[in-house]
Amino acid sequence: MGARVCLAPKNNLREHTGIDNDCRKVFEPMCPDSNLDILMARYQQGDYGAATDLIGRTSPQLLRFFLAQSASRADADDLLQETWLRIHKVRHTYRASEPALPWFYAIARYVRVDHYRKSVRTTLGTTKLEAMSKEATAVPGKFDHVESLETLLAPLPESQREVIEMLKVAGMSLEEVARATSSSVGSVKQKAHRAYTKLRETMNATGFGKGQSGGLS
Amino acid sequence: MKNEEINDVLEKAGRALPDPSPATLQRIADSIKPSLRPVRPLPTAWAMTAGLVMICATVSLAGASRAGFFGLEKMGILERLLIFPALVILAWLAGSEFVHEMIPGSRRRISPGALLGLSSAALLAVFALLFRDYQTHHFISIGIVCLLTGLLHAIPAALFAWLLLRRGFAVNPISAGLVAGVLGGLAGVGMLELHCANFQAAHVLVWHIAVVPLSGAAGALVAWSLRFRAGSSARERTNPK
Repeated sequence: MGARVCLAPKNNLREHTGIDNDCRKVFEPMCPDSNLDILMARYQQGDYGAATDLIGRTSPQLLRFFLAQSASRADADDLLQETWLRIHKVRHTYRASEPALPWFYAIARYVRVDHYRKSVRTTLGTTKLEAMSKEATAVPGKFDHVESLETLLAPLPESQREVIEMLKVAGMSLEEVARATSSSVGSVKQKAHRAYTKLRETMNATGFGKGQSGGLS
Repeated sequence: MKNEEINDVLEKAGRALPDPSPATLQRIADSIKPSLRPVRPLPTAWAMTAGLVMICATVSLAGASRAGFFGLEKMGILERLLIFPALVILAWLAGSEFVHEMIPGSRRRISPGALLGLSSAALLAVFALLFRDYQTHHFISIGIVCLLTGLLHAIPAALFAWLLLRRGFAVNPISAGLVAGVLGGLAGVGMLELHCANFQAAHVLVWHIAVVPLSGAAGALVAWSLRFRAGSSARERTNPK
């Protein structure tokens, strides 16, 4: 497989991951020219530098994936940590000839679905009060952004929402999304098409494009 | 709104989402550091697939050698040339899909449901083409014996297949269970074709082929119950009462 410099949108990892913020101080990329596939191979060989580099590069995308799926910030952080524990446990299943990003997302997706199943069961036995108190103690100010994307994607079914998130927020290709969601490229295209039709209808109905230029920027 | 405008809105909304805090990233890095050691990657997909096909062939041959190769002896050249290659091709396809089910982010060529449908339909077509004896003697009593024999051979084939791929990780356990069941079912059908000398069309079309969907359904059910139990035990750990 040919070496890819970056899997993020527009081949601009820095812009995509926001690596200029404080994360960079802690997770300065040790080998800026290497791509995720090479880092994964080094991570499999027990290289701690490659592991921290991978964490710094992919965690922002994975966190956005969880946030876009209507998770609270606290839940998204927990899911991110759980995803990395799972990734660490099954890192031997990554094969050097395959793209790394769909592998990360497939595991993140599994963790999210598993978390959702558990939380649905747990919610049956707990009170709503507990959930309300959790929300009240969440980090203030961070829900403004989340709600923006959440509001946009709210009319979409779960499967279409995750496809749109991977394609447009994470900047993955159709092939990569198909791999991450264990489906065919045709199925991904169909979901994206239906999602866009629904989004267009919703945005037109709410007059989104008219006079709301600064709403999400 | 145009697609480009929607793209723009989505990308802006995506960029507005927050990044993980450095403390979170450091916590993740610290949590994996103690157990960070070199790991041996999985073998290549074709090697694992070949191993799975070998398992199916071994289970079929072992079962037939114990019970007798009466079916194989009664078959003509055309039947042998069509049935066994078809079974090997289907087992290779099912094995390949099982390997991909156990590797996250793999490219999927066929969905588990389609694999089940394709396997059943292909066997139906081959058997319908070859077997033209439309009598039905002791349809149920003999049929049940064949079905149980096929399923009894599907179980060890699926178990050995799972053992071979135990280092993999199924992101969709129910799909993986279904595919493992189909693979085991094909081993069961292989054993029946080697052993069963009853060439009545209805018998072969119903009872032999039924091994595949039943075995697939059993595999999915086992995977679902294992996941359900894992979820229940996790809930008990979280909420001890």
